[in-house]
Amino acid sequence: MALLVTYADKKRAVQLGIVLAVAAWIGLDAAAGGGEGWARVWARLPILLTGNGSGWPLSGGFALNIFLSLCAMALAALLGTVLGFGMLAKNRLVRVPCFFVMNFLRNSPWLVLLFAMLYIIPFNIRLFGISIAVPAFVKAVIGLALPTAANFAEIIRGAVQSIHSGQWEAARSLGYMPMAIYWRIILPQALRRMIPGWMNLYALLMIATSLATVTGIQDVITTLNTLLAMENERVIVYFYITALFLFFAFCYPLALLARRMEQSVKGDSL
Amino acid sequence: MNRSDVLIELDQVNKSFGAFQVLKGISLSVKDGEAVCIIGPSGSGKSTILRCINGLIPIDSGSIRVGTHAVHKMKTEKEMRPLRHQVSMVFQQYNLFPHRTALQNVMMAPIQVLGHDPKEVEVRARRLLAKVRLSEKADSYPGQLSGGQQQRVAIARALAMEPQVILFDEVTAALDPETVKEVLTAIRELVDEGLTCILVTHEMKFAREVADRVCFTDHGRIVESGPPAQIFDAPQDPRTREFLGQVL
Repeated sequence: MALLVTYADKKRAVQLGIVLAVAAWIGLDAAAGGGEGWARVWARLPILLTGNGSGWPLSGGFALNIFLSLCAMALAALLGTVLGFGMLAKNRLVRVPCFFVMNFLRNSPWLVLLFAMLYIIPFNIRLFGISIAVPAFVKAVIGLALPTAANFAEIIRGAVQSIHSGQWEAARSLGYMPMAIYWRIILPQALRRMIPGWMNLYALLMIATSLATVTGIQDVITTLNTLLAMENERVIVYFYITALFLFFAFCYPLALLARRMEQSVKGDSL
Repeated sequence: MNRSDVLIELDQVNKSFGAFQVLKGISLSVKDGEAVCIIGPSGSGKSTILRCINGLIPIDSGSIRVGTHAVHKMKTEKEMRPLRHQVSMVFQQYNLFPHRTALQNVMMAPIQVLGHDPKEVEVRARRLLAKVRLSEKADSYPGQLSGGQQQRVAIARALAMEPQVILFDEVTAALDPETVKEVLTAIRELVDEGLTCILVTHEMKFAREVADRVCFTDHGRIVESGPPAQIFDAPQDPRTREFLGQVL
């Protein structure tokens, strides 16, 4: 009998290998006294997750990262939709500036944009004589939403332009007006191609929320740094591994789901 | 020839894509109820002629008249709407809308563009699907249909607009020889019913059978046109003879 080893088999074997190696390391480390480190992490886990020693109410920590990513994504979706359709506009006066803004934002380092927003947006906005304070959280949302919006817009543009030109021709030959063609024929098809891209983008944004520690908000990284000041140097590595795992546990399922959706969308064009 | 019978008239139509001149003074008139086949080598401008007739491609000079519409004077999609109602088109790549079922594909434009009553349109759409022998596929999505079935849905979709003219752009070129037959049968019925058709095709046998007139194009010109018997059996132009010698 011939032994058949497929690509999927090899992939599964490698994945299993990695999981076993990690488990073995944890086991060996625990045997060498690492259990004490994990115990410290376990005691601090509620603070890391919720910013609150008793775990409730939610006031920061990883929960704040999630909330920040949701707010930034919502703002990015709004700005990105405007920008995306601006790039698809027939009018050059609309299209060219949109392309410029998109390219500028997309090619700027996220951290630099965050710092820029921190200093560009004033601490207080005076409106009709009333002074409104701008919290650091709002600056973090805006700073993260800008590059995300640019990527969001590119996903819209890419999906719309990937629709076969024959769809436009057929719709025009049936008497549809350009706006109706977008609304009734192009967007329903393009939307299915956008969703996996948006999910990947959201996962990237979630990872990038760790940068928001520079704005001083009490997110998981800020909390971690505060905690570490009180901890023994030997246990620092356990805390960082935990933080890494939190982000991984949140983002990896999203990436898996996005990949599955990508595959189900493939090949249904034409 | 009685002028009032002429439904479509092209006069000295020129069209260039960049530096490449696709159409070099095309003149063609098609009478109401006539079936005209356009044959010729690839890149000779056959498909471009069709796209100019329904305004998908604007022309550089010359004039195109369809019924009472002066196509060459229309600038916006809105002005072209009545023309699109009168002239339908079937494409080589079917171009069905993949997110809608066969029945919805046929019903969409009459409801959304022409504003016809949905109930009345559904009756019409089911009748048309039956006509192309696809009643049982009404609720299938284009991706679930074979090429020949998709093309017949596309024909039903074109008919649902109740056009006076249908333009067929190499509708069998993407199909295998067996399914070509089912599509050609559907087209032949339309021609027999007296619908005005302009067909760009590589099916010479079919052209000879259904066409009232055959035009041979080469390098953006209509080299020769006449009844099928004359074009296929006694071509006058050496270029026509050369082309037919290769394909027949």
